[in-house]
Amino acid sequence: MSLLSMLSSSVLTAAPVPVADVHQAFDMGWAGLILWLPLLSLIACGCCAMMRCTSKLPAWITVGSLAGSFVTAMFLYLNYEPPGDVVNIVRWIDLSWVGGGFEANISFYIDSLSLLWILFVTGLGTLIAFYASEYMETDLGSGYCRFFAGVSVFLFAMSALVLADNLVLLYLGWEGVGFASYWLIGYYYTKPEAVAAAKKAFIVNRIGDLGLALAVYLCWTSFGTVQYDELVTVIESGDYARMTDDWSVAAIPWLLMLAAFGKSAQLPLYVWLPDAMEGPTPVSALIHAATMVTAGIYLLARMYPVFLLDGDHTALHVVAWVGGLTALLAATIGMAQYDIKRIMAYSTVSQLGYMFMGLGVLTTYGAAYHVFTHAFFKAALFLTCGAVMHGFAGQLDLRKLSGLRHMKGWKITSYAMLIGCLCLAGFPFTSGYFSKDAILAEAFVTHGPGFQWLGFMALFTAGLTAYYTFRVWFRVCAGPVSYEAGDDHHGDDHGHDDGHFHPHAPRFAMNSVMAIIAIGALVAAVPYFMDSGVKGGWIADMVNDSTASEGIPAVRAAADHAADHAHGSLFGYDPHVAMYWVSGGVGFIGIAIAAWLHLFRREDAVSLRRALLSRSATAWLPRAMERKWYVDEIYHALIRAPLWVGSHVLHGIDRILVDMVLVDGTAKLPRLLGRWVQPLTNGTVHASATAMAGGVALLVIVVLLILHLGVFA
Amino acid sequence: MMSWLLILLPLLGALVVIASPARLARHLALATSLLVLGVSIAAALVFTGWGNGAYGLTAALDWLPQAGIVIQVGADSVAFILVLLTTMLMPLAILGSYTAVQVRQKEYYGWLLALLSAMLGVFLARDLILFYVCFEFTLVPMFFIIAIWGGANRGKACVKFLIYTFTGSLITLAAFLMLAWSYADAHSGVWTFAIEPLTSHAAGLAASDQAWLLLALLIGFGVKVPLFPVHTWLPLAHTEAPTAGSVLLAGVLLKLGTYGLYRFALPMCPDAVVTWAPVIAILSIVGILYGALICWVQTDVKKLVAYSSVSHLGFCVLGLFALNPMGLEGSVLYMVNHGLSTGALFFLIGMMYERYHTRDMRQISGLARVMPVWATFMVFFVLASVGLPGLNGFVSEFLCLIAAFTAGDGGAYPGVLGPWFAAFAALGMILAAMYLLIMVGKIVFGPVQTPAHGHDDNDLPVDLSVREIVVLIPLAAGCIILGVQPGIIIDSTATSIADTLAVYPPIIEQASTHVGATLDAMVMGGAP
Repeated sequence: MSLLSMLSSSVLTAAPVPVADVHQAFDMGWAGLILWLPLLSLIACGCCAMMRCTSKLPAWITVGSLAGSFVTAMFLYLNYEPPGDVVNIVRWIDLSWVGGGFEANISFYIDSLSLLWILFVTGLGTLIAFYASEYMETDLGSGYCRFFAGVSVFLFAMSALVLADNLVLLYLGWEGVGFASYWLIGYYYTKPEAVAAAKKAFIVNRIGDLGLALAVYLCWTSFGTVQYDELVTVIESGDYARMTDDWSVAAIPWLLMLAAFGKSAQLPLYVWLPDAMEGPTPVSALIHAATMVTAGIYLLARMYPVFLLDGDHTALHVVAWVGGLTALLAATIGMAQYDIKRIMAYSTVSQLGYMFMGLGVLTTYGAAYHVFTHAFFKAALFLTCGAVMHGFAGQLDLRKLSGLRHMKGWKITSYAMLIGCLCLAGFPFTSGYFSKDAILAEAFVTHGPGFQWLGFMALFTAGLTAYYTFRVWFRVCAGPVSYEAGDDHHGDDHGHDDGHFHPHAPRFAMNSVMAIIAIGALVAAVPYFMDSGVKGGWIADMVNDSTASEGIPAVRAAADHAADHAHGSLFGYDPHVAMYWVSGGVGFIGIAIAAWLHLFRREDAVSLRRALLSRSATAWLPRAMERKWYVDEIYHALIRAPLWVGSHVLHGIDRILVDMVLVDGTAKLPRLLGRWVQPLTNGTVHASATAMAGGVALLVIVVLLILHLGVFA
Repeated sequence: MMSWLLILLPLLGALVVIASPARLARHLALATSLLVLGVSIAAALVFTGWGNGAYGLTAALDWLPQAGIVIQVGADSVAFILVLLTTMLMPLAILGSYTAVQVRQKEYYGWLLALLSAMLGVFLARDLILFYVCFEFTLVPMFFIIAIWGGANRGKACVKFLIYTFTGSLITLAAFLMLAWSYADAHSGVWTFAIEPLTSHAAGLAASDQAWLLLALLIGFGVKVPLFPVHTWLPLAHTEAPTAGSVLLAGVLLKLGTYGLYRFALPMCPDAVVTWAPVIAILSIVGILYGALICWVQTDVKKLVAYSSVSHLGFCVLGLFALNPMGLEGSVLYMVNHGLSTGALFFLIGMMYERYHTRDMRQISGLARVMPVWATFMVFFVLASVGLPGLNGFVSEFLCLIAAFTAGDGGAYPGVLGPWFAAFAALGMILAAMYLLIMVGKIVFGPVQTPAHGHDDNDLPVDLSVREIVVLIPLAAGCIILGVQPGIIIDSTATSIADTLAVYPPIIEQASTHVGATLDAMVMGGAP
């Protein structure tokens, strides 16, 4: 414990930040445990790898330390009083030795927004690590250590991202989660696809990171600080045009958007997320569904005041439309995939689109609530997909699996998946139903360019979502029992020696986690009704406490603005009430079509596809959907190929023009001169002396000439 | 006294190594370098220049006082940080050569120690004579190290290295001599070569004279850095040098260039620097992007890392010429960080080469399965190099970029560059991730593939030996410590940097309209 207390005790000598309404909590150094525990777990996993540990020890260490993080986060929540605390942990980049210097320390900004995020991040992290202890057991040994070390790195970075009190520490977390994602996507590093997917994820994310870095620089030059509390103060005071013109402040939202769209896989940077499914499934559930990909929403919610500085909300309108279009596009791709994990990946992209739409239509609490519910139900979906993949030797093709719910040992998996599907499809009275409606209703009532159409588009997308979600469930879990094994025969416990494949059902760790998270997905509807005097319940209460909605005049005005419209009407009804009926109905239609095509008359789905493909007028549609609208190809043609050619050209220039012609050519000049004066260099002492004297004379002449010209006069 | 010890001890060691039996050479060299490291640590403890702008460990030796030639030594905090970097890298370089160098060991280790002496002389010099002699003398050992123990193309590489950098520094010498003459001219015939009086004299020259001086300094130091377009010696020399040679080239010798710019160009010609900083910054940015793009198409890993130095040092120079404390601090950090991470990458590539005798990415892949320890270090140092926050590279890169971003004379931090400079330079971040991760993806990950002739019988283990791990651990520790606590260097060098920059704010303020016009002209293509 002495080590822990040493680590968590603040090593901070920097001057406290003088902000009136945010109190400095120097006595809360223990909050640092949220960061240090995963870090210790990383070191312990590394030690396990070095000791060639072949037990499940790394898993228990990781689960234990993540649970510790969660408990610490719980304590933080219980100790929390609005508006929030700055907790200084360790001094980091600090140039405050010149007046008004740059400062970015490892410090936490504890407000309701960061608490909301850190609670579900650490909570789900613990559960999923527990699930993974069983899922990864075929890799016991160095792979097992590597996996849990990666999970620890991820939780470390994600906690830093969420809890950071300044943009530079957030950037640390931002890149850190990208790196953890690289580590874990590339977990099966002997598979070229996994390596390529990992690389792609990191590089595409780096494009977004560039936006974040530039946004941080702009914040520094325009507001003179990168710390949230000071930032808010500066924005409130309106005294921020310190060095630049208007464009610098106006550019910040667009750069933040670039960052958020990279991390949260929105158009045009979503291409890495589907490929990221090469990683082990617990990773997909934790990083690529529940937590990391919501960092973009967190960033925009955190920096909401900057978005609202522009009275026209142009940037927010773009956020809304990009979100809406991504939701639609990803849903259409998801409809046409056969790999259930990829379907879930596209549905994640699509749901993240909804969240951005929520931010864009001024309902930060709707966006945050959808993040919260989505974290549970999407984790449940991924974990059940993982159980299927684990049990059927890597089989993920929904055409080759059927009737799981009738099989022994697969009940929990089937029904946990059903709960996840119901929530995702927005089935009435599930958590996803309420959170999605919060966003949909606002889309109809908030003023913005074509927001009515955006609303209808989102509603249509909700129908597609219900369809593709239940396409998976009706195919895989319902219907007659039949299955084919996949080709992933790691380990020998699949019992191939008798020539038959026996799927092995999930056991305690996986079942319990799937059950808990599925129940959590249902219970996630409750906070919406927890009375706190605000519409939207506990979540709205949390979000409204933070900078995402209150404390800044501009933001408060905008919130009032939104509130005005929320009391407007949709089809003559209260928009939220109307939306309950409309979206519920749309969901039913989607589920009904899925039931028709994928449960009762599966042959119709095949003939429909064939009919579409046979007519040239319609053939492009299924093709384009199956080929993901050719976005990867477009990227290759527009960016990668030209750069690649350009690099080769530059390399050629470097070798031939710069090096051979310019440098070697210049070097040959003396030799040419030398030919001319060759008699002097015939090797005799006499000639050498003459040459030397001549050389010195030449130097002297040059020097005198320069002096005469008065260079240094 | 300690300064003399630091400079002379390695020379003495070199003599001892030459005189003793060959089988003892490497051990004696290691012992000497460790002794020097110990002396430098002891010197660091008694060093009085930490946290203030003063020089410490000063001493002087009258040699030819009539001609103003008084050999002066001493270091300010920035110089001493680089001294520590040098003394730390040298034992590692020697230990890393234990199995790689099999022939003519006495000469090899003798040259390495002579090189150490010269490098320390550069950082500890307080007068131009000692500085220049040491600066040039670094070429001699490196020339022989490349020429004798280098790769297949070593002949061309060493000649090019020598002539290229020697020509550059001759012009710098001419500038130094002119400056001394100009000083004597202004002070009724009293000559001096001490750096401080010459610096203040130079800073008082007319702007046009300063511009000539800056040009001459840039030619000499720019070749060393190397700045685009005078970088072409570097890929060749790095690739052909033996491992220790590459490590020292990247770790220390390139820093002679940036250190020279910091020590001479910035304080000596402030007016010219303010005028020409945008041009130099553009050269750095071209270097960053150009180097990075060329890295992308390399198939030779060592050449890739060599070109990445062109790209990385671009950030370092960009930070210097941002002319604000963040930039200079970032630049000083960059010098150290690049020495650690790129030095380590060269070590790792050397270790791979010793085992498989190839550096061709197309012949080798999936080493993570064969050499997990090596692979772990490789990924770690690549991440440090890419600038992953939490490791050292990030802090320096971040500071250089944010410094370049800051423009104008408002606030506490003036700057002469601007957002566009930083935006283009920051593209280098994406490109660095691309080429380094592609390299990792090819050689570390993927299916296992090693060259047909396979493992050599030079009794090295399949994975890293304890000796090799010992070489890498200090570098890794440095990366982590400086990543988490950059304050160690920032706080100790803060005042030196502030002193160096003290002359700038009024000049920038005066020139801001002019610089703005130059910038607009360059970006828009209009007339200035």
